Parts: sequence; C-alpha cells; structure tokens
Amino acid sequence: MKNLAIFFSIFFLGFFISAEQLYPGLDEQQLKRLNYLSDNIRCPKCSYGNISSSNAPISKDLKEEIAQMILANKTNDEIYDTMTERYGDYILLNDPEKRNPLIFLAPLIVLIISISVVTIYTIKKSK
Amino acid sequence: MKKTIVVLTAALLVALVWFFALSLNTPKISNVKTQEGKSLPSGFELIKLNGEKIEETELNEGMVLLNVWASWCITCLVEHRFLKELSNTYNIDVIGINYKDKLGDAIKYLDKNGDPYIYSIHDYDGKYALKLGVTGAPETFLLIDGEIVKHRVGEVNQQVWDEEFSHFF
Repeated sequence: MKNLAIFFSIFFLGFFISAEQLYPGLDEQQLKRLNYLSDNIRCPKCSYGNISSSNAPISKDLKEEIAQMILANKTNDEIYDTMTERYGDYILLNDPEKRNPLIFLAPLIVLIISISVVTIYTIKKSK
Repeated sequence: MKKTIVVLTAALLVALVWFFALSLNTPKISNVKTQEGKSLPSGFELIKLNGEKIEETELNEGMVLLNVWASWCITCLVEHRFLKELSNTYNIDVIGINYKDKLGDAIKYLDKNGDPYIYSIHDYDGKYALKLGVTGAPETFLLIDGEIVKHRVGEVNQQVWDEEFSHFF
C-alpha cells in the first residue's frame, strides 16, 4: 500500500514537471521560440524526425545549445546558420529552398489533363 | 480530334519523362555533412582521464587521430580491437575523446578491454564533442596540422581504414 502511494505520488508529480523547468532561463515567449526552432531542426543522429521529438543525446544537447543562443539574443536565422554551418542543409526540416510546390501540384495537373482528355474523347466518340 | 488527343497524350508522356529525368539529376538530400576542412573548436579546457590538462596546440600539430568513444557504446567495443591493432601493429598514435561517460566507467572499460589511446580527453558533458560536430559515438577524425582531413561517422574497421584512412599514412 505504501509502495502504491509512493508510485502514484511520483506519477502525478510528473505532470507538474514541464519544459519550462528544463530551461529555467527562458521566459514563455523564448520557450515558444525554442519549441518552434526544435521542430524545424532535424536530429543529426536519426534518419528522420526533429530534435524535439528525439531522445538522442545529441538532440538534447542541441536544444540546450539553441536555448543558450536564444538567451544570447541570437535571431532565428543566426541559429539556423550555426546549425547548417556545422551539420549542413540536411539539418533544416523547413528549408525554404527545398520547397517545391510543383511536386504537390504535378499529380493534380496530370489528373485534370487525363480527365479532360478522356471526357473530350468520350463525348466526341458518342456523337 | 483523334490527332489532337494523340498529340496531347504524347506531350503528356514527354512531360512525364522530362520530369522523371529532371528528378534523377537533382542531387539527393545529403546526410549530415562531415567536419572535413574545418579545425578543432578552441577555448575549451581539455582534461585527460587522469586529470592532467592538455594544451590545445598538442592536437593541432602534425598527424592526430582522434577517436570518440564511450563505455556505454556497443559499437565502440566492436571497434576497440581494431584500434588496439592500429596502435600496436601500425604504430599510430590514437587520442581518445571519452564522450558523455562517467570517469569511473571509462577507466574500468579501458582496464578491462585494453587501452589503445596514448591518452583520452574526458568530455563528460559532451560540449567539446558537440562543437566538434560529433553526432554520437564512435566517430573518428584525422587531423593534419590542425585541419580535419577525414571524419568518419561510425565504426572504423580494417576495410574502412584501407579505403578511407590508410592513404594519409
């Protein structure tokens, strides 16, 4: 019974341990920035996934380093630059240069053209 | 009309093939870049496992082979035998960077498995390795006069050595 009480105390205590306490120097706004940046930086040790969702030691270290850079008043671009300088463009999940809307539009364009061709052909044939 | 459809279909096919060819020529997303061409991070107080201080200049002179290891790292243990071979047979000086490891565990590991390193730097919090561009253990760096000429992420074995490192020696 006593053990159960200890277990539940520890279990519920866990709810009160938040990210804020992991980075005590950061205010709410800075924490939001840290989360935003961590969401957009890839874990260099993992094949996929960002550093906020990764448990790799390097991800924890990078988050800590980014928190320090936020405290040192570095801009997001400066933080991204530091990361790409060390690990290359691969580290950025949100790389604007790699965004190519054509990739997503291409299947739609092909579909529209195909439907049009088949429709026109069918109409013409039925006449 | 039939001709138009044929032309349209042909055009569509050509466009698709063109898209495919273009995608083949686009360089694939590379992995994390290595630290080759860079130098070691500076401004760190480097301490050996035995507590002695290391001057940064020691690492920036001549040929230095740095190996990142940890007692908790399974691949490092696999690599360990080859590192011993390197220091014994090839007579190459290997300097270790003990990464995120407790001092006691690191010393015990070397006592048990043998010590291929002339010394190991104790990087308990991994801050030095982080600035160096290490993503985990094991990793190996070959430096010539302070410049990283080879950076291997992962195990170094005989095959990797022959293919990537041996020509520097």
